[in-house]
Amino acid sequence: MAEVTTNSGRTVRVIAITMKSIGFYVWQRRWFFIAMGVGAIMMALPPPDGLSQKGMTVLTMSVVATILFVTEPVPLPTVALLIVVGQVILLGLDSTSVATSLMNDSVLFIMGSLMLAVAVVKQKLDKRLAFFIVRMTGTKTSRICIGISAVSGILASFIGEHTVAAMMLPVGLTLITLTSDDPRQVRRLAAVILFSISYGCSIAGIGTPSGGARNAIMIGYWREFFYDPANPDTYKFLIDYVTWMAYAYPMFLLQLPFVTLILLHTFRPEHRDLSRAVVKLRAQIQEEGGMTTRGWATIVLFFLVLLGWIFGSDALGLGTIAVLGAAAFLVAGLVNWEDMNSGVNWGVVLLYAAVISLGVQMKETGAAKWVAEGFIAMLSPFGADQGIGLWVAVSALTTAVTNTMSNGAAVAVLGPLVLNLADIAGESPLLIGFITAVSSAFAYLTVVGTPACTIVYASGYLKTSDFLVVGWRMVLMSTAILLVAASVYWPLLGT
Amino acid sequence: MADQASERKFRILVCIDGTEESYRGASFAAEFGPEHDICLCYVRPMDHGLRSGGLNVRIARENMLNWGLELPGITYLKKGRDVLIAHGAMGDDWKEEATHVDVEGDPLGDNKIEYTDKTGKKIILKLKVAFNVPSGILEQTEVAHYDLIILGASERWRRGKTKSFWDPAVAEKVVDHAPCSVLVARELDAVRGHLICSDGSEHANAAIERNLFLASHGNAPVSILAVSPDVEGEAAAAGHLAKLKSIFDAKRITIKNSYTRIGDPVEQILEVGADYSVIVVAESGKTPWARFFSSSVSQDIMQTAPNSVMIVR
Repeated sequence: MAEVTTNSGRTVRVIAITMKSIGFYVWQRRWFFIAMGVGAIMMALPPPDGLSQKGMTVLTMSVVATILFVTEPVPLPTVALLIVVGQVILLGLDSTSVATSLMNDSVLFIMGSLMLAVAVVKQKLDKRLAFFIVRMTGTKTSRICIGISAVSGILASFIGEHTVAAMMLPVGLTLITLTSDDPRQVRRLAAVILFSISYGCSIAGIGTPSGGARNAIMIGYWREFFYDPANPDTYKFLIDYVTWMAYAYPMFLLQLPFVTLILLHTFRPEHRDLSRAVVKLRAQIQEEGGMTTRGWATIVLFFLVLLGWIFGSDALGLGTIAVLGAAAFLVAGLVNWEDMNSGVNWGVVLLYAAVISLGVQMKETGAAKWVAEGFIAMLSPFGADQGIGLWVAVSALTTAVTNTMSNGAAVAVLGPLVLNLADIAGESPLLIGFITAVSSAFAYLTVVGTPACTIVYASGYLKTSDFLVVGWRMVLMSTAILLVAASVYWPLLGT
Repeated sequence: MADQASERKFRILVCIDGTEESYRGASFAAEFGPEHDICLCYVRPMDHGLRSGGLNVRIARENMLNWGLELPGITYLKKGRDVLIAHGAMGDDWKEEATHVDVEGDPLGDNKIEYTDKTGKKIILKLKVAFNVPSGILEQTEVAHYDLIILGASERWRRGKTKSFWDPAVAEKVVDHAPCSVLVARELDAVRGHLICSDGSEHANAAIERNLFLASHGNAPVSILAVSPDVEGEAAAAGHLAKLKSIFDAKRITIKNSYTRIGDPVEQILEVGADYSVIVVAESGKTPWARFFSSSVSQDIMQTAPNSVMIVR
C-alpha cells in the first residue's frame, strides 16, 4: 500500500519527533532540572533568622549538590565543576582562592591512595592471596568465608576497600564457578562468598586512614574546623595514622566474626564443603609458580608506605606519603602511568576536592551551625539532643545518607553539619566525627553504598534485593558495636 | 520504498538480563518462525567512579578476565544463544563475526557477535554500554530497526502512579518510548494462546492489523475480546468484535474464541486474559503526561496483568 505524505505532514512529523526527543532528554535529566528549580526557589527566598545571605547561598548549593549526588542525572564530576563555579559567581569568592581550596592534604591523600591501589592491583597478587586463604582455612565453606572476610578486611584496612574488593572478586568467583557452572546451583553460596568479600572490606575500611576516602575527609574537617596552631588544646584535632587506628581498628576486629555468622545464617549455602573447588583452585594457582620478584617488591614498597604513614605523617602529611608511594611504584617500573591514569577515576578526586571546599564554606558562612541548631531543636523533644540519644541520631542519619550515595560523599556532605552539632550539643567533635566516619561504612543495604559492594555486584551473581535481605542485620550489629565502643572504649582514649 | 519494506527482515530484540524470564523471552522469539533475525542484547549501565571509591570498576573486570572468568553479560548472552540453538533457531556452523564500537566514557564499549547462515538470517549477541538499562535498549532500537522488543517485567512497576512516573521500571520506560511493539514477559509460554483486545477504534484496529504476525505469534491459537463499559454499548462492542474478526478472516487466521464483556475494560480483559499466555492490546497513543492524569487501559493492563502483555504499535 503506497503511502502519500504531504510536506505539511512531514513537517508535523519532524516537529513531533523533535518534541519527543526533547521530552526524552528532559525526562532523562529531570532530577537536574528539579535540583536547579529547588536551588532557584531557595535563592529567591529571604534567609531565615540566624542565617546570613551567604550562608543561605552555601546551604542552597549543598542541597542542590546532595540531590545531584543521590539521583545522578549528570556525570558526578559535573557537580564538582558547578560547585567551583558557584563559589565564584554566587558567593563572590576570588577564583584563585577557590582553586587553592580544592587541594589540601586530604585530597592529596585520596589521590595518592587511589594511585597506590591501581599499582597494587596490577601486580596480580590475588592468586597468592587465594593460595594463602585456602591453605589457611581448609575446605569447609564456613571456614573459607571466615578466611575471605578476615584477609579481605585486614588488607582493606590498609590499602583501601576498593583495591581488595577488585583483587578478591576473581578469587571468590573462581571458587563459585569451580563448584558449579550453573549459577542456580550455587546461588546462596555465591551470595555468602561475595558478601564475605564486600562486607569484610566495608567493616575494615574504617580501620585506618588509608582504608577509604571518608577517613581522610573527616581528618581534614577536624583540622580545618578545630585546629588552631596558636592553641595547644586543639592539637588533639590533628589525628595521625596511629591515633585513628587506636579508635577504629578494634571496631573492625569486633565486627569480623559477626559478618560470617550473619551471612551463613541468612543465606544458608547449598554446599557445606568446597573440596572439589579448592583442589582445582590449588592446581590453578600452582601452575602460576612461586612469588615473583615484582610481587615481593610490591609488598616491600607498600610496607614502606605504611611505615611512612605511621611514623612520618606528622611531619610530612598523609597525602605526601601516599603520593611519594605512588611515585616510588612508577620509578620502580612496577606500574606504568597509562595503567594508573586509566585505573583512577580522576573525576572522583575532583568531586571530593570540591565537596570538601564547599564543606569549609558551610562552616565559615555559619550555614552548618544553623542547620545543626535546627537538627538539635528537632531532636530535643525526643531527648536525643545529647549523649547516647544524639549518637544514635547521628549514626542513623549517616547510615541513611550513606546508603543513598557513596560513603566518601556522605562524610563530605555530613561532616560540617555533625561537627557543628557536636559543638552546639557540648559533645566531643572527635567522638561525633568518629561516629559519623564509622557509620558511613554501614552502607550494607544498597549496591551504591560502598565501593566494595559496587565491585562485587559487578560480578552479576547478586541481586539488589540480596543487599536488603542481609543488610539490615549487618546495620543492627554494626550500630550496636559502635555504640558500645563510643560509650565504653573511646572515652578511655580521651575523647 | 515498498520494495525495501518487503525485503526488510522481521527483527526481534530480546533483552537478556540473566533471569529465567529473559531466557523464556529468547525461546518465545525462536518460536516465531525460522526466517526472522534475533538480537539478544545485554545492557550494562556505565560505571560511576564515585560508587567504586574512585577506582574504576574496569580494574576488577580486567582481573576477572585474567583469571579466565567471563563477564556476566557475556555469560548471559551465551546462555541465551544456547536457548536459540536448542529451539533450532540457530545452527552450530553459522558464520561468526565480532565487532567492537568505542563508547565515550567506557573503555569496554559496545561489543557484538553476529552469526549469519547461508540464507542471510542473523542472530546477534550484543553487549551494550549505556547511561542506564532502558536508555540502552531504546538506543539499540535507534541503531537498527526492530519489529518487536521482548523484555522481562519488573515487580517494581507495580508501585503508585507518582513514583512510577518519576522512577519507572525498565519495562515501563521501554514501553513508553519504544518505536515498535513490545512484549513484556511474565511466566511467558506459547501454549495457551493469545487474547487480542480492541476497543474498536481505528487506531487500535490499525495497530493490530499491522502486527497480525506478532499478535498471532506464528501458529499460536488466537482469541479476541471486545469490552463495553455498560449494557447500552454492548451492541457497539459486538460490532467491534465483528470488525476485528474480519481483519483476521482476511488473513485466514482462525479465531479460537470470541468474547464480548460488559464492565470495566481493565478488569474484564484481565479476567478473560488470565487463561492466555499473552494479552495483546494496542498502544493507547497517550503521552506520559496524559497517562499520568487520565489512566490508559493498555498501561493499566501492563502494570497489573499476572501474565505476559504485548503492546502493538
